[in-house]
Amino acid sequence: MMRVTLDINGREHAAEVDPRMLLVEFVRRCAGLTGTHVGCDTSQCGACTVHLDGIAVKSCTVFAAQAEGHAVTTIEGVSPDDGLSPLQAAFKEHHALQCGFCTPGMIMSALDMIRRGAATDEQAVRAGLEGNLCRCTGYQNIVAAILAGAAAMAEG
Amino acid sequence: MHPYRYHRPGSLAEAEEVLAGDGDPRPLAGGMSLIPVMKHRLAAPSDLVDLAAIGGLTGITVEPATLGIRAMTRHAAVAASPSVRERIPALAALAGGIGDPLVRNRGTIGGSLANNDPAACYPSAVLALDAEIVTAGRRIPADNFFLGLFETALEPGELIVEVRFPVPAAASYRKFPNPASRFSVVGVFVARLADGAVRVAVTGAGPCVFRVKAFERALAASFAPGALADLSVAADGLTSDIHGSAAYRAHLIGVLAEDAVADCA
Amino acid sequence: MYFGQRLTRREDDKFLKGRGRFVDDIEPAGTAHIAFVRSPHAHARIRGIDAAPARALPGVLRVLTAADWQAAGLGALTCVHPMPFSDGRPMNEELRPALASGKVHHVGDVVAAVVAEDRYAALDGADAVAVDYEALPAVTDIARSLDEDAPVLHQRFGSNLVFEIERGDRAATAAVFDAAHHVVALTLDTHRVAGCPLEPRAYLSRFDEATEDITLWATSQTPHYLRRWLAKYALGVPEHKLRVISPDVGGGFGLKTHFAVEVSTVVWASILLGRPVKWTSTRAEALMSDAQARDHHTRARMAFDRDGRILALEVDTIAALGAYLSNFAPSIPGNSYPQTVTGLYTTPNLHLRVRGAYTNTVPIDAYRGSGRPEATFVNERLLENGARELGIDVAEIRRRNLIPAEAFPYTTPVGRAYDCGDPPALFDKLLEIAGYEGLRAEQRRLGDRGVRMGIGIACFLDKSGTGSSRNLASRGGLHGGYESAIVRIHSDGRATVFVGSHSHGQGHDTTFCQIAADRLGLPIEDIALVEGDTGSIPFGNGTWGSRSLSVGGVAIMQAADRVIDKARRLAAHMLECAEEDLLYENAVFSVRGTDRLLGFADVADAAYHGAVLPADGSMEPGLEETVFYEPPDTNDPQAMHLAVVLVEPRSGKVTVRDYFTADDCGNIVNPLIVEGQVVGGLAQGLGQALMERVVYDGGAAGQLFSGTLMDYALPRASDMPGVRMTFQETPAPSNPLGVKGGSETGTIGAPAAIGNAVVDALWDLGVRHVRQPFTPDAVWHSLEDAAG
Repeated sequence: MMRVTLDINGREHAAEVDPRMLLVEFVRRCAGLTGTHVGCDTSQCGACTVHLDGIAVKSCTVFAAQAEGHAVTTIEGVSPDDGLSPLQAAFKEHHALQCGFCTPGMIMSALDMIRRGAATDEQAVRAGLEGNLCRCTGYQNIVAAILAGAAAMAEG
Repeated sequence: MHPYRYHRPGSLAEAEEVLAGDGDPRPLAGGMSLIPVMKHRLAAPSDLVDLAAIGGLTGITVEPATLGIRAMTRHAAVAASPSVRERIPALAALAGGIGDPLVRNRGTIGGSLANNDPAACYPSAVLALDAEIVTAGRRIPADNFFLGLFETALEPGELIVEVRFPVPAAASYRKFPNPASRFSVVGVFVARLADGAVRVAVTGAGPCVFRVKAFERALAASFAPGALADLSVAADGLTSDIHGSAAYRAHLIGVLAEDAVADCA
Repeated sequence: MYFGQRLTRREDDKFLKGRGRFVDDIEPAGTAHIAFVRSPHAHARIRGIDAAPARALPGVLRVLTAADWQAAGLGALTCVHPMPFSDGRPMNEELRPALASGKVHHVGDVVAAVVAEDRYAALDGADAVAVDYEALPAVTDIARSLDEDAPVLHQRFGSNLVFEIERGDRAATAAVFDAAHHVVALTLDTHRVAGCPLEPRAYLSRFDEATEDITLWATSQTPHYLRRWLAKYALGVPEHKLRVISPDVGGGFGLKTHFAVEVSTVVWASILLGRPVKWTSTRAEALMSDAQARDHHTRARMAFDRDGRILALEVDTIAALGAYLSNFAPSIPGNSYPQTVTGLYTTPNLHLRVRGAYTNTVPIDAYRGSGRPEATFVNERLLENGARELGIDVAEIRRRNLIPAEAFPYTTPVGRAYDCGDPPALFDKLLEIAGYEGLRAEQRRLGDRGVRMGIGIACFLDKSGTGSSRNLASRGGLHGGYESAIVRIHSDGRATVFVGSHSHGQGHDTTFCQIAADRLGLPIEDIALVEGDTGSIPFGNGTWGSRSLSVGGVAIMQAADRVIDKARRLAAHMLECAEEDLLYENAVFSVRGTDRLLGFADVADAAYHGAVLPADGSMEPGLEETVFYEPPDTNDPQAMHLAVVLVEPRSGKVTVRDYFTADDCGNIVNPLIVEGQVVGGLAQGLGQALMERVVYDGGAAGQLFSGTLMDYALPRASDMPGVRMTFQETPAPSNPLGVKGGSETGTIGAPAAIGNAVVDALWDLGVRHVRQPFTPDAVWHSLEDAAG
């Protein structure tokens, strides 16, 4: 066991954990932030996407201990207390989610893509989503929502 | 996942000390391959030595005829680096096509090379560009580095600190991605070096990255796609799996090599 | 009216903010975790299990094996849709054991369960259980499952045959083939796929020792059936002491309907230990334990007259059912397949033989499309090859064969009736949005430049709604076809709707409340929907078979109507007028020709106060109605697809460039949601067509090669084309909403449309068929074969 203290969404969370504990497990079980999901075990699906120092990573392929000293941001950390962020609102407007399981990872990945200026057109967004699987929507509405969200964020 | 001990040394010397210890200690770079393998209990290191806190292991240095990429440099950084894009655009493109954006934000060049996955992209660039693998104690030429399936010339505990790429006259990487993993079913890196030598390295198709000497000879004589028209790679010894038969892979090597040569024109 | 509006979804906000509540998000204090010991062999005798090393590990609480299960006198998982032989003999039924006893029959078969303090300890414990196996030869290839020398899984049956049925008229059909102008014959296998909802299955069971109540949180599409099956077949616990909660569920596509192998053990362990016990599947476990789908080996022929009219269809299929029979498995090739195999074409003669067979593979069960994709692939591939061989355009041959509107209800050669539709008109809509003639011209232009473009079409139908309980029983079903709903008006006039369906992406919270709001005359904001809790909802059949709207939606409608009937009686009493004189609009009762008004909320208030009800006792207090709605029949959504592909002959790579769909799924409550279902289904169909494939080694070892998402390829955003959709709304005659299923057509049509397009692109190179999935490797090998 080892003590790990992580900065998650600006709050400190400390726990005595097995070194095997993955960042996603720490986020879900130790910090109680269950918006970050696990959909696979080989880092294909991206449901576990969080930001590490502002960069999107798959938290199922990072040990909790590795994240010590870095700022972790989860879906809860990018959600306003009231209402939806412009990107979240675009997802709703475009029906870009069905079961909602991949959605937090999609949002976190899309935010990174938009901040990097990579969400320029449909093709770029599709390429930018290589690391995120959705089994429900067929992606069409997700792509539309990210483009709309990027435009809204540029204006906002 | 089997139990293990986590270490996060602040210096190379400290890391090497833990790696020289008993049990089966292993370095942890980006973790993109190692962690999934540990989850499936296919690797059971006793200790993991996280290299992230060691100073001086990231960054790209530009010299007149060489690009040096430090071992812990992430794929995303290589892909986005203006120096790499300008001097070896094929290498930047290769890095930008590994896995997916999230994997590229974590995975490192040193980790990829030390792991030497038979379908990884970087080994083909290292081999085709005749790069040098620099460790704390020595420099290993690419031709001597990749020894076999997940096997390299690294001694136990020996850490890559830098990879030095000679800037080529022209180069291109063509990859046919595995539809599931995004590793290569076949990847072909063609390089015409500054001295005029041509090197063709193939990943994904066999147990370890390899050069196609027949292609290299033909291209040295005439660096044009047509030079490969009558050549083919034998399917014997190539990988057959659910993503492609050995015969298909052999065929694809020719197709991708031609395309890569055409890119260089 | 909310009906027909593109409302954004009410359920979205919580998911967008990471506030969904999935089973694995729930973990009461003191929860123990289970890990399962799974067979690494496809077929092996278990010579012994040594659990002692596991029991000795720190944190391990219990190790359970088949011996414990048998000692406890527990039962078996069940198959609720048996399929007898055509001659009436019962099928050869081997049920899936919760814990394998004596022999294992597929990679991933559960041999033992280790319960421990945490997940790491459970996994370490599972690793420490020593199982002594004697490997046996396996058969995983369905085409070889019934060979004389094939290894037999269950010796008591003497072979791997589960059932054999024949439909249609063998002799008459053979005679038509003998005399036909033209015959096309192909081997048309449909490979095995995994449903892969993104949320892996998870179960959490809590046993309350004081009350002996069990609460099970489960990733289930059918919480009431899960409760019934656990109570009746597996564990013998009293049904009223077991509550199943199915909270937010991350996709199902059918496979969260099934009585999964792990759930009984989780519940049993929680009773044994007296504490909460949880299991969350890993993806690797999902790929060796979740029910899989398709896996047909099929030889088929189609006979044509000189004008390209279909004269007869002959199909001989072996359908894999896996190592054991899962819930609905036999009925997929036994019922769904035959009733849609002639699709939307007038087919006067049919002979069909279906044999279900065991192989050393994960059990098969229903997955989106369920029998129809396999059937449609056969019908559509034969038709397009026939058209080309006869020199008839593939659109023209469909015009000559589509069932005309006036022929509905249309009875197929297997005796099933299709309710309604206008396929020729739907086909015109498809060709119009696709710009068919323009695409053909573009194909010629690109062809001149050496670019190989292919155009493929598929026209087909779904069978949705499952029909009545009697209908299901007549086909062998041991489960109902009805749905339940309660509409409860609260004393402030707001409403809660309880329904036995379950939404795991389909948007019931929006669609169902649109219906309820219309019928109740209330704003949708005043209505809440409750699903997925056997503690508060009457027995429901759950969500599968595209039945939720046409059955559950109607149950809600009827309960709402009954509520309004009672409210109207009470309002008439309160306003001292005749019921006929009352108008009801926007939650207000008014007396015709007067200015007397009474708000719905005031009526509700009176209903719950009770004091102003008629003194004669003719009315009970309260305002709440329960309906169990039994649908009279199924409904028949129809759809047509057109795929445009680009094929690179050098590499064999297929790119789906454009995709067009035309759907007739009856009246549409919410177009936004229906369009989402069409594209979503299509992604799964495209996945099946191009990349998804469960692969076993095919040899005696029977190893699973597609064990993780590193090898099982799910479609990504960059694999999908832009999809253009059009709709035709022919109201279903069998339900008062006129709705039909609208979510399965994507998986049904895509393999056929894309397969036809690939062959279209390569026809002049001599390619007549490409095996599924159309991977670059498969396409290249087809070209090599064609080149000889």
